[in-house]
Amino acid sequence: MVTELTDATFDKFTEQNKIAVIDCWAPWCGPCRRMGPIVDELATELEGKVGVAKLNVDDNRAISMRFAINAIPALLVFKDNVHVDTLVGLRPKEDVLSFLNSI
Amino acid sequence: MNTDVIILGAGPAGAQAAIYAARKKVDAVVTGKVTGSALHGTHIENYYGVSGVVQGDDLLNNGVTQAKSFGCTVFDQNVVSLSSQSGLFKAVLESGEEIISKALILATGISRKKLGIPGESALFGKGVSYCAVCDCNFYKGAVVMVVGNESEAATSAEVLTKYASKVYWSADSLDVDGSLVDNAKSAGVELLSSRPLVINGTDRVESIGMDDGSTIAVDGIFIELGGRSSADLAMDLGIMPELDDTIKIGADGSTEMEGVFACGDVAGKPWQVAKAVGQGAIAGLSAAEYVRRKQ
Repeated sequence: MVTELTDATFDKFTEQNKIAVIDCWAPWCGPCRRMGPIVDELATELEGKVGVAKLNVDDNRAISMRFAINAIPALLVFKDNVHVDTLVGLRPKEDVLSFLNSI
Repeated sequence: MNTDVIILGAGPAGAQAAIYAARKKVDAVVTGKVTGSALHGTHIENYYGVSGVVQGDDLLNNGVTQAKSFGCTVFDQNVVSLSSQSGLFKAVLESGEEIISKALILATGISRKKLGIPGESALFGKGVSYCAVCDCNFYKGAVVMVVGNESEAATSAEVLTKYASKVYWSADSLDVDGSLVDNAKSAGVELLSSRPLVINGTDRVESIGMDDGSTIAVDGIFIELGGRSSADLAMDLGIMPELDDTIKIGADGSTEMEGVFACGDVAGKPWQVAKAVGQGAIAGLSAAEYVRRKQ
């Protein structure tokens, strides 16, 4: 299941999941709407192994500023609560899985 | 204006669809620029019935002339938005004119998105953006540049004036309705006739090197080539494109939405003129049949 995060709940999520993927999106963004179902699939496939969440950057500006996000969709990837990378742009599920396997 | 079928795209698929629809005695309107076709500026020598080398622009111009000769109305404009209501479709052109139709054919081709200049790939997501509507909110108070000669650049530049403190619009060969240019200028956009050669920056976009020798300091650059993308237009109607921006169609050219058909490059590979006109013929016939069934 995909968890909906806010600026207030973000840090707890990355602390509690060994690997965390957070989909930064906004309602007006067409590519984000296309990324949404892919993130849902990732959450189902990776349940128990990777924490998958969404963050609406329109409502939660602090996190997008902290991680210098200026293009969406953007996947923030964390391992052991350390920001590993940001995957920017619409991309296939296989690309994300391949990246997660490499970290 | 009202019509039976509106066809988005004036390339081989769109023109052939229009010709077949018109021959089935339904009204057809074509919108789009032949310069937006993948065939523009190229040549072809493997097309049925054509011997030797034929210039793509000759085929394109002949196709539009042919469509007109069958009674089709052709607008040399991109569509800036689509919507559907009560089984009818509404397309808004660059000029603001609205066209209401009973059926719609997407023959827009696949959008070319990238400029292909140094710094573009490395700084994607670090100041380089291909979606002003998506990313404008991150540029409050910033200085940005929009690049593109057509409607998508014009509308993007105007949108960005609501967020950025300064918006440059680089268009070295403007090809857009004057009303959209006026809107952008009125909103405060500074139009430049020079074009970018390089995007400078290490961790972030810092400046753009232009072909007139100038360097312009910016926080972001929005690359908005051509008209509105086929993917965005499809999503206006609630049709979800594939990840490669193509639209799934059935054997009759139909999409997942009733009354909407697709043909040509937007319907997937192979990206060949022969396939585009074949699919165009099928989509034109199917759309005409659909209109007749609805009457």
